[in-house]
Amino acid sequence: MVERNDELSLVFGSLSSATRRDMLRRLKRHTMSVGELAAHYNLTFSAISKHLQILEEARLVSKHRNGKEQRVGLLPTGLKTADKHLEQYRTLWENRLDRLEAFLKNKRLK
Amino acid sequence: MEKQITIERVYGASPERIWKAWTTPEELKAWWGPQNVSIPECEVDLRVGGTFYIVMEAGEAMGEYKGTKWPMKAEFTTVEPHSKLEYTALAWTDGLKDETTIDQTTSIMFTEEDGKTKVTIIATILKVGPKAGMAVQGMEYGFNQQLDKLTQYLSS
Repeated sequence: MVERNDELSLVFGSLSSATRRDMLRRLKRHTMSVGELAAHYNLTFSAISKHLQILEEARLVSKHRNGKEQRVGLLPTGLKTADKHLEQYRTLWENRLDRLEAFLKNKRLK
Repeated sequence: MEKQITIERVYGASPERIWKAWTTPEELKAWWGPQNVSIPECEVDLRVGGTFYIVMEAGEAMGEYKGTKWPMKAEFTTVEPHSKLEYTALAWTDGLKDETTIDQTTSIMFTEEDGKTKVTIIATILKVGPKAGMAVQGMEYGFNQQLDKLTQYLSS
């Protein structure tokens, strides 16, 4: 079961695989059928399905049926979650650098 | 699929001075953690393969987070005095290591420019545990308190 506040970790977990990052890159421009996507990798169909399942759980992609084929499309919201996390990291560092500045100024006065 | 942040800052101090602030436990303790957070432990073994270990502990003012410890254990991968420091690190919430670990690499560069020093930080997040969001939220809580204090100070 996936809790809501785990969204972030799912996104980063998904991005930790080079194959999955490559899949997202390919899906950036247009949707693809599972078969079209699989053709780019030297992987079994079940491995491809597993990767797609992980991306789906992180809500980075969604699958929909178009007649007989299943198409995969990119969902931009998932990546925004990752961006938000990185922004928090940026804040952490910005604050830390502010304190370093204050610390250095303080030292010079002494 | 960017998982990296880059921050630059210019300081009116020499690279040597800033390097000291970054690599001496007593000095790190003075500025590393946010307000309301203490640094009970800090170890720096300044050599490639050496350990950089720092623990942040939430203070009284952090309410429900009080006493929470956020350790970071790193290994230096580059040590070029006064110029470049790199480490790979694991950071987590004490007691929840499996769920909260954030795997990251950090690169800190010091460049002298007209008597000032430009500090460039590149932090790359490699992996995030299933509950790491909590740790980040805790840190954020600390920062918010800090910003509140600043706002109070400025308006008084």
